[in-house]
Amino acid sequence: MDAIATRNLTKIYRGHIGRGAVKSLDNLSLAVAPNEVFGFLGRNGAGKTTAIKILCSLLRATEGEAFVMGQDTRRPATRKHIGYLPENPYFYEYLTPRETLDFYGELHGLTRAERAAEWEQLADLLDLRGIAGQRVRGFSKGMRQRLGFAVALVGDPEVLILDEPMSGLDPLGRRMIRELILLFHERGKTIFFSSHVLGDVEQICSRVGILVQGRLTTQGRLDELLNRRVNRVEIIAADLNEAAATVLAARSDGIRESEQGRHFFVKDMEAANALAADVLQSGGTLAEFTPIRESLEEYFVREQETVS
Amino acid sequence: MRVLAVARNTFREAVRDKVLYVLLLFAAAAIFGSKALGWISIGQDIKIVKDLSLAAVSVFGVLIAIFVGTNLVYKEIDKRTIYTILCRPMHRWEFILGKYLGLAALLALVTAVMVLVAAVYVVVLGGSLDATFFLAGLLIGWQLLLITALAVLLSALTSPILGAIIVFSTYVVGHATTIFTELPPHFDGTATKRVLQAVYYIIPNFSNFDIRAEAANGVPVAPGYILWAMAYGAVYTAVLLIIASLAFQDKDV
Repeated sequence: MDAIATRNLTKIYRGHIGRGAVKSLDNLSLAVAPNEVFGFLGRNGAGKTTAIKILCSLLRATEGEAFVMGQDTRRPATRKHIGYLPENPYFYEYLTPRETLDFYGELHGLTRAERAAEWEQLADLLDLRGIAGQRVRGFSKGMRQRLGFAVALVGDPEVLILDEPMSGLDPLGRRMIRELILLFHERGKTIFFSSHVLGDVEQICSRVGILVQGRLTTQGRLDELLNRRVNRVEIIAADLNEAAATVLAARSDGIRESEQGRHFFVKDMEAANALAADVLQSGGTLAEFTPIRESLEEYFVREQETVS
Repeated sequence: MRVLAVARNTFREAVRDKVLYVLLLFAAAAIFGSKALGWISIGQDIKIVKDLSLAAVSVFGVLIAIFVGTNLVYKEIDKRTIYTILCRPMHRWEFILGKYLGLAALLALVTAVMVLVAAVYVVVLGGSLDATFFLAGLLIGWQLLLITALAVLLSALTSPILGAIIVFSTYVVGHATTIFTELPPHFDGTATKRVLQAVYYIIPNFSNFDIRAEAANGVPVAPGYILWAMAYGAVYTAVLLIIASLAFQDKDV
């Protein structure tokens, strides 16, 4: 049984006066296995949030079906399995984090004792104790995101659906979210998240799906999708004399200069090894030798260009 | 229980709404100001104070129901707080009912406080009170429950401004529903008459909840009438809440 499955999910927003209907999602069929960390990628307006909102039953699909843990997402009971973190989560400004978690715990059907135990656990995990008595009104983006994550975890759901969890966070905030995702992956949860921060996606996802104009153009494991061959090699050489630098520049596909030295780019490892040997032979110092493989970002851009 | 959780939270939120206190301030001013009109009606001042203070409770209660009620669901969607609520294992009707009950509880409290303030004022002025005065307050509160249900329905469907206009118009027209039936003879047999008669049956007749004149004059009202008016209000309220739940069931948020 898949943790998340959609079948031909289509969403058409009815047009208002003077505007036609907009197809936001076009026959989306995807499957996410239990305990997978699935990255859902796409440009702004590609339909990611629409798909996520259908999974969380906030939008009704025009056609198709969505299942979480094998159950139709339109059934309220199915949503016991889902923890949802919306993009820029909003909470009641007049509640404190403790009251907020208590409220959502009650909506989740937890007893008073279960809610108290949940608070103890989540307050430690998400570092909420220091702000337990403060109203949400004055919270920073990072504090809201921590609280949002805690709210998503209320009721210990098996599937976490996170919409742009890293958007707008500082590097420390992003690292915290990354670590939380990996922690819950270790604890056996399934994590489905959309993101624009492709570096982070590459670090933590086992599989990705790419949505282009509402259509899923790619779905698969990162190591299968990305071309892991070396595309080019960057060599940084310091202490080179001008004559040697001119000769080496003629043999490379591109050069630039920085405080570290001269950067030479060559296409393959063979040429890179020869060039590195010549740097040393001509009295230079090899400061860096970096084989460059295709990144998710490059793949993503290539995918967008291919489709458009 | 999920409905009660939403209701408690709605109550907590509505209590913090500044509009509530502004309107309560005006209501208090109207209740205490009713003495001024009492002065110009020789010997009738207590009757006028009773009548006008109950009218103030009704009008300001309606204004609170309109201003808070028409924002109730709309604000949740607009501020996106609804996202983290409807993704929980709950039915959408539970959300609608919870929002309604939260505001209904607040209005019950506000009405009780306003009626109590008016009662104390009447006693301070040397007047006497009887059960009809408090029954009039009860029916005003009951009428507010119906108006709140209409406000919640419109809040789930449209913007607060449009909702407020519709609720207020219904409130005004609902006090004069006889205009739809007491038509001149040349309307007999026309389609207009049939349409207006249909409107008469659709729009709640708010004058059923109005026993202010009896309260002002100390005329007793039969308990059977009070029960009938309450049942009438309860049926309308239930129908409006069912329609609101059905309309909200498949709404994209």
